[in-house]
Amino acid sequence: MNSSVDPSPQSGLTQALPLKAAVVGTGGISQEHLAFLSGRAPAVGTVAGRIRLVGVCDLSEASASYASQQYGASGYYTDIAELLETAKPDVVHVLTPPETHLGIGTLCLEAGSHVICEKPITDNAADLKSFLASAAANDRHLMESHNYRFNRGVQQMRQLVDDGALGAVREVEVRISLPVTDPDGRFGDRNLPSPIHKMPAGVIHDFTTHFGYLLLNFSSEVNFHRIAAAWSNHEGRADFRYDDLDALLIGDGPHGAVHGRLRFSANTGPDAFTVTVRGSQGWAETDLFQPYVNVVRPRPGGSQLSPIVNHIANGGGLIRDGVRNLGRKILQHSPYEGLHLMLDEAYTALANGTALPVTPDQMLATSELVDRLLSDEVKL
Amino acid sequence: MAQTIYITGATGFVGKYVVSAALDAGNAVKAVVRPSSKTKLDAGDGQSLEQVRVDLRSRAGLVESLADVDVVIHLAAAKAGDFATQFAGTVVATENLLAAMTEANVSNLVGVSTFSVYDYLNTASGTLIDESSPVDTAPELRDEYARTKLLQEDLYRSWGAQEDNNVVILRPGMIYGPDNLWHALLGAEVGPKFMRIGAKATLPLAYVENCANAMVKAAEMIPTDPALASEVINIVDDDLPTQAEYAEIVQARIDTPDTFFVPWPVLRGAAASVKAANRHLLGGRAKFPGIAVPDRLHARFKALRYTNAKAKRLLSWTPTYTTKQAVERSVKFEQDAKSASTSDSRSL
Repeated sequence: MNSSVDPSPQSGLTQALPLKAAVVGTGGISQEHLAFLSGRAPAVGTVAGRIRLVGVCDLSEASASYASQQYGASGYYTDIAELLETAKPDVVHVLTPPETHLGIGTLCLEAGSHVICEKPITDNAADLKSFLASAAANDRHLMESHNYRFNRGVQQMRQLVDDGALGAVREVEVRISLPVTDPDGRFGDRNLPSPIHKMPAGVIHDFTTHFGYLLLNFSSEVNFHRIAAAWSNHEGRADFRYDDLDALLIGDGPHGAVHGRLRFSANTGPDAFTVTVRGSQGWAETDLFQPYVNVVRPRPGGSQLSPIVNHIANGGGLIRDGVRNLGRKILQHSPYEGLHLMLDEAYTALANGTALPVTPDQMLATSELVDRLLSDEVKL
Repeated sequence: MAQTIYITGATGFVGKYVVSAALDAGNAVKAVVRPSSKTKLDAGDGQSLEQVRVDLRSRAGLVESLADVDVVIHLAAAKAGDFATQFAGTVVATENLLAAMTEANVSNLVGVSTFSVYDYLNTASGTLIDESSPVDTAPELRDEYARTKLLQEDLYRSWGAQEDNNVVILRPGMIYGPDNLWHALLGAEVGPKFMRIGAKATLPLAYVENCANAMVKAAEMIPTDPALASEVINIVDDDLPTQAEYAEIVQARIDTPDTFFVPWPVLRGAAASVKAANRHLLGGRAKFPGIAVPDRLHARFKALRYTNAKAKRLLSWTPTYTTKQAVERSVKFEQDAKSASTSDSRSL
């Protein structure tokens, strides 16, 4: 979990602008990548002069053609080799089903393209190591999307921790409520089962990367030595490995014991994705689907008045965020602002030859944590 | 001549009637149902019906399922869900079907489209909508259904342009029938009430049995009638009622929601104001409910005229049932289904 890997070309590899980008796979998440690459991401704005979208590739010609036309790509392809040969992209976004990431990504790396890959990047940490080794051998970057770490709510909470406003971190809880078994949803569709069912954690594997990097975002120096993970299939659907996760992690950090709790539920509502950090002096919480940040911490007025000041401050904040979220809904802002901000940092880093915002060590630590959650020794 | 007809979307609202009409006309039917569907299609004595379980969003099993097929009626489409869902269920599904047809040497297709593809916003009130009317060329502000059906039509045309392939595109109006008598061309649900929008506009209705007959006629003719190939044909009934006339017919026969009325010009003006404000103040980025979007509103409530002359001429088709007969048959079908379901549950 704490092993370090050769970070491949972490510095000194500047790229001429505009960087040529291509997208492989035109499923739902591609719209967010393409919105960024075409300069339509509201959180980032124009990318003109920095990025040129040179190709979109999908097995479905209709899908590739439509995405190419909608987002102003120079061309579309149904064959990856042809995309790499013809468009010669500097960066390829690999957005295909997880079991294809390693094969497609390796082709791109060997063709001289950096790879930005959707999560989960591989089935397990061993595959990720060989993927990273391939990147290093080809002197290219490989980056997995850890998008929610870049959402403003999480960034704000990270700043509170870094500033010491919450004291020493004692507990981190990441909780997702999503009705993944809904037969009308993409995971619950019985007619054309999602490829994610084949992953070790089944449908929940689509979320384990988020769990891992968000927990580690607030506990990167913690050695979690006691882990218990209850993987359940409460609904009992035969096509689901699991529809529920309740995991407890206990470890030691530089400032004492830290508890982590990772919770996935398919039968609680409404849809939510909350991150809560509790410190020795206060706590903070955000919901990435309906963004707000509640902060309870020592306030002016001492211990007598702090609770009241916290209520007033958080009440005002909730009203402000309620109005802001109404505007976000009307203006069609998605919870993917973090993805756009992460990509913006990644392209800036590629242009400047500096470290990418998600490092190989962070990717590997996340993947190793997921491996441990799935190991027989920790399963309840 | 009897054909073997491959019908996609066979268990859907329209599909069930198309299967029935095709069988009644003496054709053999391969009915495509989704793998998890529990719907059972029935054939009469001596009728040839085979159920084929495939999902058109994947190419798995498609070519094999098209063995010995003469003609395809492609009804399957996604009518709900976000754009990606409807794109997969309508556009990718059609792309897969057409590729499989080519591989299986099936060269005759009745491609079912929709009236939704026309450009209503830029068409003046009172205009006759026929097959030469312009389709929407900038459908970004239309609903996902219209956008994906337009893309589907492009695929039909592209496939039909290949040598030896014959495609006829049918564009039905609002298909109504059992369990779908009180529909979206009358207005919109607003909380517990139903907002009736407009009264005088003619409704482009196509009763489901009339429509099914037209589709089967097209399927029977396309393999041998070169005049049909590459044609687009609108399907609407003969005696098209106004919104008020239709509502009166339906309200006399079934329970309908509590309604309140908004004149079309009022809503049209309000939606135009919202669009202007969105464009000037928010750069057009805001998304509002369909009844506040002129591009969608005009497609549902604008007063226009319609014709089925081309369908009658090319398909030798005449709608069997008038609007009143169609509503009465629908009500009877609904009651029969209810009785059957009650007796089924009693027998359990």
